[in-house]
Amino acid sequence: MNDLFTIEQKSDHIIGRFAAMASPCEVLIETQDPMLANHLTSVAYKETKRIEEKFSRYLPNNPMANINHSEGKPVVIDDEVFRLLEFANSCFQLSEGMFDITSGVLRKAWKFDGSDNIPIPKAVKALMPYIGWQKVKYDQSSITLAKGMEVDFGGIGKEYAVDCVAKLCAESAPRISVVVNFGGDIQVTRPRHKNRPWHIGIESPEDDDKNASKVLKIISGGLATSGDARRYLLKDCKRYSHILNPETGYPIENAARSVTVAAPHCIQAGLLATLALLKGVKAEAFLEGQAVKFWCYR
Amino acid sequence: MQLTSKSNVTGKTKKVTNVNSALAAATCVLLGTTPVVQADEAVWEMDTALLYYGETDRITAVEGVFSAKKDFGDEHIFSGKIILDALTGASASGAVSQPSAQTYTRPSGKGQYVIDAGEIPLDDTFRDTRVQLEAQWTQPLWDDMRGSAGVHLSKEYDYLSIAVNGSLAKDFNQKNTTVSAGLSLAFDTIDPEGGLPVAFSEMVIDQGQFANEQAYQAAFDATRQTGTDDKSIVDLMFGVTQIINRRMLMQFNYGYSTSDGYHTDPFKVLSVVNDQGLTQSLVHEGRPTERTRQSFYWQTKYALDSGVADISYRYATDDWDINSHTIDSRLRFNLSGNTYIQPHFRYYQQGAAEFYQPFLLEGSTLPAFASADYRLGEMTAYTLGLKYGMKMPSGNEWAFRLEYYQQDPKNAGFDEPGALQQLDLYPSVKAVIAQVSYSF
Repeated sequence: MNDLFTIEQKSDHIIGRFAAMASPCEVLIETQDPMLANHLTSVAYKETKRIEEKFSRYLPNNPMANINHSEGKPVVIDDEVFRLLEFANSCFQLSEGMFDITSGVLRKAWKFDGSDNIPIPKAVKALMPYIGWQKVKYDQSSITLAKGMEVDFGGIGKEYAVDCVAKLCAESAPRISVVVNFGGDIQVTRPRHKNRPWHIGIESPEDDDKNASKVLKIISGGLATSGDARRYLLKDCKRYSHILNPETGYPIENAARSVTVAAPHCIQAGLLATLALLKGVKAEAFLEGQAVKFWCYR
Repeated sequence: MQLTSKSNVTGKTKKVTNVNSALAAATCVLLGTTPVVQADEAVWEMDTALLYYGETDRITAVEGVFSAKKDFGDEHIFSGKIILDALTGASASGAVSQPSAQTYTRPSGKGQYVIDAGEIPLDDTFRDTRVQLEAQWTQPLWDDMRGSAGVHLSKEYDYLSIAVNGSLAKDFNQKNTTVSAGLSLAFDTIDPEGGLPVAFSEMVIDQGQFANEQAYQAAFDATRQTGTDDKSIVDLMFGVTQIINRRMLMQFNYGYSTSDGYHTDPFKVLSVVNDQGLTQSLVHEGRPTERTRQSFYWQTKYALDSGVADISYRYATDDWDINSHTIDSRLRFNLSGNTYIQPHFRYYQQGAAEFYQPFLLEGSTLPAFASADYRLGEMTAYTLGLKYGMKMPSGNEWAFRLEYYQQDPKNAGFDEPGALQQLDLYPSVKAVIAQVSYSF
């Protein structure tokens, strides 16, 4: 009847699945009512597509394209874009400049394809003038980027979508426990009946074997992973992680391969994980100081 | 935040730099949420509703409903309900309208009322308050079964109904099929002001023919039975609910109901008319003491991309010969994630009871049973309505419903002598229903 999403009935819940944001997306719903499951999955699908279409940097004519092709002119923004910019600004401040949504231009030089193609220093240096959140001017209604600069919500978009979908599900079905799981970025809307944990299969970041997966038990809150064991460069026995330092234009030294954090909200967990990666060798120390549960893989 | 897995955290909180708390605050601003405090305690789900039902020139009812439900864990569910009704206004007595004014005695025997020429005789002393209490307990039983038991109590000034019910439901086929069976036993007692009239006794109307008040009272009392009367009802219900696919659900129910006892409406009368259609006297109605009904019900719910279609059909038949068809449809359209509108259309058609008669003819043999109650006659009725619901960010929900109801009684093939041909014996009943409900 529609091929946008599928529904699978399990013994004590229903799973709705679809593909979006270059990731398998699923919603686990503690119900036996297929109508409700269908409705919630439809809500989840629409919200995810809305966010993907609005914030994808690969699509023309969306707010991202308008901002990134503004050629130095102010661009009108809506409240949602403003809130995301404010959030990115907080992250920039909290990370003392290490989390910078303008650093995406570095991908013009760096291609993390597992090869040994380290860019020449000149190419990296040429991009550096276009990086620096502090150069971006924005307010509630508009943003102005210097010519050549770009902003990219890629680092927080998926986690943001998970939280938005979870919020809609919680509003739509406040009494029902729903898990939103977009490729391991997870949010639980409320605990299940009798506080039973949800069992969620996630790809193991420890292993390069794609089929290897672990079963994770989660009761409430959010969970997110940053880092990707398969995205790196290797040259002269040195591994270059795909986490780039916006101040140098080069990969963070001694970054963990991946970090998973549990926090009340998915996007909060995602940011803590990303900030930990940016801390390099001090990732674990940083996370221990935050009083959260985490898993660091090196 | 709880997560059960091996953790690298020792559990000890070291010097917490405020990155996480600052991030938590930024997250709440971004998502427009307040910091999450999750209560794991089961909560009471409460529903309240206020309903207004108003018929043109007839009955007005105001009803308040309060219901509460709580899951005590593992699907052990208690639900309770309190309903308060207040009814005022006039209801059709069963008598036919006449080309001249008519005088009636009130059902209590105290006082009279006059109906103008050409007007439908309405008994305007209709006034009642009803309290209804319900309690139900549902819990899983052995073998994937669910059991439910409940009590029901309804009290009006002159009427009391007590009922108990029990049901069992079992899931099959990976919960795609549910089969259920239920039983309900009810016992009703009626004790109207002024007593229960004797069937086919003539209404005593004081038109100066009585020597004194005692003589009138004696004549009135002669038309009354002594004591109260009662009725017992047994209802059986069998149902199958089948999930057809992820969008469609179907339900079939069969109901069998038998009741034994007093079924007569003590406030209804029949006009005895002559061959010119003029009322000669009024007699109290009489109905059979048994009734057996069967009903067949089919319902389909279909999930649309942004809403739900709900269509049902019911066929009911009974040994009074009242056969009815009901088609009910509701279409819910989600306007947004939190708001919806739901148009409602219902159509109802019924045939007349075998003992239904709009009036009695003077001189003809008195039947064993007769009633001129328009609710037992042939009729069609329809309801057109619209409901608007909105869910607040807190999860509480407001809903507003407005409906129009019209009932059109029909002549089930009775010849109308003389004057009755000029009069409307089957007037329509028109009503407006308004409801506000709040769930929290």
